[in-house]
Amino acid sequence: MNRRFLVLLMLFALSALAFAPIQAQGNTLNVAWPYQVPPTGHFNTFASGGIALGQYQDLHEPPLAVLMWATGDYAGMVAEEFGWDDDGNYVIKMVEGNSWSDGSAMTADDLMATFNIFRLRGDTVWANMSGIEKVDDSTVKFVMDSPSSLAERIILTTNLRPASVFGDIADRAAMMDAGGDGWDALLQELTEFRPESPVSGGPYTILPDTISEANLMMELNPGGFAGDIQHYDMVRMWNGETEVVTPLVANQELHYITHGIPPTTEEDFANRGIDIVRSGMNNGPGLYVNHAVYPLNLVEVRQAIAYAVDRIQNGVVSLGESGVAVEYMTGMSDGLSEAWLSDETLDSLNTYEHDLMKAEELLTSVGFSRNDDGIWVDDNGDTLSFELTFPQEFADWSAAAENATAQLNDFGFDISARGVQFQQHPQDIYASNFEMAIRNWGLGDPIPGRSYLQAYNRYNGQGDLAGEGGGAGMNFDNNVDYSGGMVNVFDLSNQSSQGVDKSAQAELVTQLAISYNELLPAIPLWERYTNNALNRNFIMVPDSGDSIFANFGGGADNWMTTLILTGVTAPADM
Amino acid sequence: MALPNSDLEINRSGVQSPVAAVQQFIAAYPIHKNYYVRIFVQAILTIWAVLTVTFFLVRQMPGNPIDVLIEQILTQEGISYQEAYDRVAASFNFDPDATMLDQYVDYVGDLLRLDLGTSITSPGTRIIDEIARFLPWTIFAVGSGFLISFVLGIILGMMMAYYRDSALDHTLSLVSSFFTGVPNYIWGLLIIIGPGISWNWFDVGAARGTYDPGLTPGLNAAFIGSAIEHALLPIITYVLATLGSWMLSMKSSTTGVLNDDYVNVAEARGLKDRRIITAYVGRNAMLPLFAQLSISIGFVLGSGVVIEEIFVYWGFGHYLFQAITVRDYTSVQGAVLILSSTFVFSNLFADLTYGLLDPRVRISGEK
Repeated sequence: MNRRFLVLLMLFALSALAFAPIQAQGNTLNVAWPYQVPPTGHFNTFASGGIALGQYQDLHEPPLAVLMWATGDYAGMVAEEFGWDDDGNYVIKMVEGNSWSDGSAMTADDLMATFNIFRLRGDTVWANMSGIEKVDDSTVKFVMDSPSSLAERIILTTNLRPASVFGDIADRAAMMDAGGDGWDALLQELTEFRPESPVSGGPYTILPDTISEANLMMELNPGGFAGDIQHYDMVRMWNGETEVVTPLVANQELHYITHGIPPTTEEDFANRGIDIVRSGMNNGPGLYVNHAVYPLNLVEVRQAIAYAVDRIQNGVVSLGESGVAVEYMTGMSDGLSEAWLSDETLDSLNTYEHDLMKAEELLTSVGFSRNDDGIWVDDNGDTLSFELTFPQEFADWSAAAENATAQLNDFGFDISARGVQFQQHPQDIYASNFEMAIRNWGLGDPIPGRSYLQAYNRYNGQGDLAGEGGGAGMNFDNNVDYSGGMVNVFDLSNQSSQGVDKSAQAELVTQLAISYNELLPAIPLWERYTNNALNRNFIMVPDSGDSIFANFGGGADNWMTTLILTGVTAPADM
Repeated sequence: MALPNSDLEINRSGVQSPVAAVQQFIAAYPIHKNYYVRIFVQAILTIWAVLTVTFFLVRQMPGNPIDVLIEQILTQEGISYQEAYDRVAASFNFDPDATMLDQYVDYVGDLLRLDLGTSITSPGTRIIDEIARFLPWTIFAVGSGFLISFVLGIILGMMMAYYRDSALDHTLSLVSSFFTGVPNYIWGLLIIIGPGISWNWFDVGAARGTYDPGLTPGLNAAFIGSAIEHALLPIITYVLATLGSWMLSMKSSTTGVLNDDYVNVAEARGLKDRRIITAYVGRNAMLPLFAQLSISIGFVLGSGVVIEEIFVYWGFGHYLFQAITVRDYTSVQGAVLILSSTFVFSNLFADLTYGLLDPRVRISGEK
């Protein structure tokens, strides 16, 4: 009897699943981002665990503006007018007539609340600001200590939050001196604050009852920003990382992902007629060396390494078409180099094209020679034997490390590659516990000076910030002597994002680029391009050649959310 | 009851000292010699030891909650390290500079007050609420799979033993060996890729989750039906992954019993096969498996980690996995407390109940 019952039960349930209707696609946009379900996940997007949804936060907490990467200009979203006034303060006038999903009007109070909470959290933008003033119901003035492109970017890419939800805490924070009595308690109150339901000011609102570990639904919010120009009634946000969402893309239930996918999956998607959208991400893996380890501190050795590694091969082996070899070797992406450096400067740069003879000449020039086994020996008689570590869980970086190791060993180095647990690996770099390592160069940010923060700051003395190690990182002396003279490259990188005079910034960026190109403190291998899977059978967006795809944006400026906010994205069968 | 003649410590003022009082009480009531008390205390000490080791081990893992989230934000949003650090450090209820001893004392103090604390990575969220959110789904899915697998395994194993060397035995032995050799995550992937994607037998996305959104959890048909439907794929996976070992174990055990004299005697007495199978063979053959089952129950909660990730059926396994991934120390500690308690007490349960099932053990114990 038991057996019969169990078999029947299983058959019944299997048939229920087998004949479960495919969820109606209807007028629903299917995209994906990982989130945590309640109670771990919640609706306080200022606090850890908040269901913000990455770049899709723009859909429920709209940005003030979006940078169009192809032109370098900001396109206003919630900010209708924005710019510097004569006193060097930044003024934003908001679009009027929008409302939040709880019925409250979207006004300057929301902007005030958002930035007062940032002050409570200690966000970086307040390093440049001394205050914020409400001019009228739709205008806010940011009182700046000094104008800067960086501050402008942080302000404009901010996602607006509702004063009706956060206003109370924000107002109390505004009345307090930072760090004074009650400050920490208020900060704790903020992080533990749990709004009962999400309040949206964008075109879509999260429906709390639909949140499951599989997906959540967002419904059209007609009164919100851009709510009146949408082509979809609903957005279904699938939950999960790459391995979880991959079957859904293959199954055509999910139509667009920004998750990085391996080349084999890419090929499978392409065979199913799914488009792969590629945009440069301004960063990628590089070969870092510990400058306290002789002879890696010699510029000739680093240059020889750059010549000895075929970066094109390394990129293709690691990430297929999305691993694009770096050409200019300036520490920035090639896109930023072309945008910020003059043609004359670009022509003068050493591109370190794969050339074993030049690598040989460089090593010979500093007194190195090969031993009987063909292994390079330095001027002290020691073989060029090093350990190269890499985060073993990152498939593309692991491939880059192993390929670079093989190429360098073929050239006569004696390098052994070793994988390290991915969360331990950066700690090892911070603590200077490495000889050679694969870490990331560049930054997904349009401000060129910030690309240097990895080499000159994060991996060079950030141990105290990282909480462990407290080491000197790669031990590179930021005071460098190059063909342009003596400069402190870290100071230069900071100065280059200050002020608003682009030509003055470009001069500093040029110094950074040339010095980096000459000294190669770390050796960029290739730039990571996105490989977003886009099923054009379901989603209509511009063709691949459109300039909007320069907006790769993992966080701000994402091309898909920009197209949604501007009413362009639509169902393919429209 | 008269007090035994022990050395009573009476101080000069005539008041008995506390130590002496305890000694006197123990002498009068030697509960420490009681078997049940002893194994219960052992169980508590075991759990405490596991929790202590876990407490220090998780803090030896690379990175801490702040580092992990910084890395995530850096990867996803392309902001500077300083910005990521500022944002994360302010929103965490965690001080990476506090000494481990201080943290441990706080932790044990909270535990003694039955307070598991709050999540580090979701400040203000109580661990007990998170466990209550995830634990029931694992118990339901893994427990159901386990039960079905056990019952099927017992029946098929007995059939294999009864009809040993027959075509049925050979076929089932082959099948069970194959089932035993394939790990559960492979079964999970095969189900998703084959029936799910290649053959479109079911909607991969709709099968995810623990129940359909919009339903109200409770004793209503819609919710129960939805919960069963969503649990089906994990249950099938657990059954496929564990059925083979139960079949083989039961076959082995039954084969041994079939050769015992009392079975031959029962057959000689002309008892019906059904009575021999149930009352003579089955009951005795199951005894070793009962102990195995009790121990296995301890593994139930921890065995679902990969399966819950594959099917996006978030239960306790996912909760533990996520907590470890983001280095949420307090959540890991809460999860390990549940795991170790389940394991220890299921063993305790096996010890206590084995005698009830096997009179030989009970009688031997009485002697």
